[in-house]
Amino acid sequence: MTRVPVVVGVGLTPFAANRVDASIRDLVAEAVLACMEDAGLLDLKAVQHGLASYESDHFNRQMTLGAILHDALGLTPLPNVRVEGGGATGALALRTAWAYVQSGLCESILVYGGEMNGRSVSSATANGLFALSADADWEMMVGGTYTAFYAAMMRAHMQRYGTTEAQCAHVAVRNRRNARLNSFAQKPMDLTIDDVLRSKPVAEPYKLLDCSLLSDGAAAVLLATEDWARAHGTRFRERPPVYYCATGCGTDTMRLGDRYPEITNFRGKRAAAQAAYAMAGIGEPLLEIDVAELYDSYSGVEIQAVEDLGFVPAGQGGAAVASGIFDADGYLPVNTSGGLLGRGAPVGATGIAQAVEIVQQLWGELPAGRQVANARRGLTDTHAGIGTICVVNIFERRD
Amino acid sequence: MTTVLSKRDVLTVSAPLQRTPDPWADFRQIEIVTLELTQQYAHSLGKTSRFFLELEARRFFATRCDGCGRTYSPPRSLCPDCLKITQWVELAGTGTVEAYSIMHFASGINDDVKQVELPGVFAYVLMDGASTLFPHWLRCEPARAHIGMRVRVAYTQAEHVQHPIHLMYFEEA
Repeated sequence: MTRVPVVVGVGLTPFAANRVDASIRDLVAEAVLACMEDAGLLDLKAVQHGLASYESDHFNRQMTLGAILHDALGLTPLPNVRVEGGGATGALALRTAWAYVQSGLCESILVYGGEMNGRSVSSATANGLFALSADADWEMMVGGTYTAFYAAMMRAHMQRYGTTEAQCAHVAVRNRRNARLNSFAQKPMDLTIDDVLRSKPVAEPYKLLDCSLLSDGAAAVLLATEDWARAHGTRFRERPPVYYCATGCGTDTMRLGDRYPEITNFRGKRAAAQAAYAMAGIGEPLLEIDVAELYDSYSGVEIQAVEDLGFVPAGQGGAAVASGIFDADGYLPVNTSGGLLGRGAPVGATGIAQAVEIVQQLWGELPAGRQVANARRGLTDTHAGIGTICVVNIFERRD
Repeated sequence: MTTVLSKRDVLTVSAPLQRTPDPWADFRQIEIVTLELTQQYAHSLGKTSRFFLELEARRFFATRCDGCGRTYSPPRSLCPDCLKITQWVELAGTGTVEAYSIMHFASGINDDVKQVELPGVFAYVLMDGASTLFPHWLRCEPARAHIGMRVRVAYTQAEHVQHPIHLMYFEEA
């Protein structure tokens, strides 16, 4: 019997700029209760392991938050582990859970996480806190921020390949348009390319509408062996089984400058994708993947991602994106949730929520217009820093 | 009645959309308190300290690996390719812009950054003789910035800086 994990249930909170009504415990509980209901579980007594996913002790103003959440969810005395991987935290959490199930450490594991990145601190403080995850002796003290690093990368991409601001704007327009079909999205918008191009410059070539959101939110996924899922997940047999079939991880240097002369793209993402494709037996990703959630922290980052994930050759991401092949009605729809630009990005929940969108796509449970017809294999792409830690997870429907 | 000093707000929130019936219907008030967290660190700049100390003497240093010949600027004390301890070398302080962004905001990480004139150019510079890119502010008319632009290290005339990395900046050569 295979130990490849199946997805037993998923749960999300809406992503919001400011969930004043909730603490981080309330948010994670909300996502976990939704996950239980989705799995058809009345309680968590059969679950064998917990896994807490959150990035920042500073935003949450709490160390050992994993222990607090585990306790709040009534999971003691079960084993627990906290996973942190910057922006890739949620995806790395799932990858860790994958390994815990595959290794035989447990038959089932509840992955739960969230972040209060919204308005609990000012946006200046938020930028400063995120800068703490840059190289603190060099880039951070100079006054560098991730927005600056991403912008410089995109400037180099534009110089080398002729990528344009209008091509970047296509991503900003499309992902926020996709978010309009997602009632849990933070910023659904109906924009034009010109709206994006005319928005306030932030870090050129990026303008305000090229930038993703700061969000409060939480997400949960229950993974298990198929045997466990059949025994305990009362809804498991009602749905086509979805396997978490492959995972890949790659890394790159902390500082962009140490990657010279390769500063236009994400080397770690290529490594992560290659590892995941090898595990899933994928040779032609554009042909063999039906739906994907890509890490669009800034609009142009999605252009770089479609190149590094091997959907299109290096340098052709801008033209490919602008051609509409990744739109909701295109050849390979991406970010049907709205992505980080439209749905939002509470860091510890982001990678988990990307997986939730893909799993729901494979179950065929999303509303018309957002649901991709006959989706059988889906991918999530998540990274930390400027591609410093990259994780690619692949889910497959097998019925 | 005792005053709660940290009390910032008491909000009445509306019913959540996704829960019916609403389990919180009987009490809809939320209290927000103000919390602060500040710390001071005695932070060691470690084996790259020489870079910062040489800046005070207006000299620009990098590190070179005898194993592979790569020169790191900013310095790395251990070559990540060879795992050899690197050697200090002085560079001329001239270089070429390889990437940049025109920034319309700056983080408030220290007083030096708070004084950066905006919009400002945040540039990655390949120093002559180096193998990696050095990030710093390039003080020039933003519209003049371009990839391939020749620049040089300039040393601040300010009476004081808070962090030693701000003893320098870049200017057009």
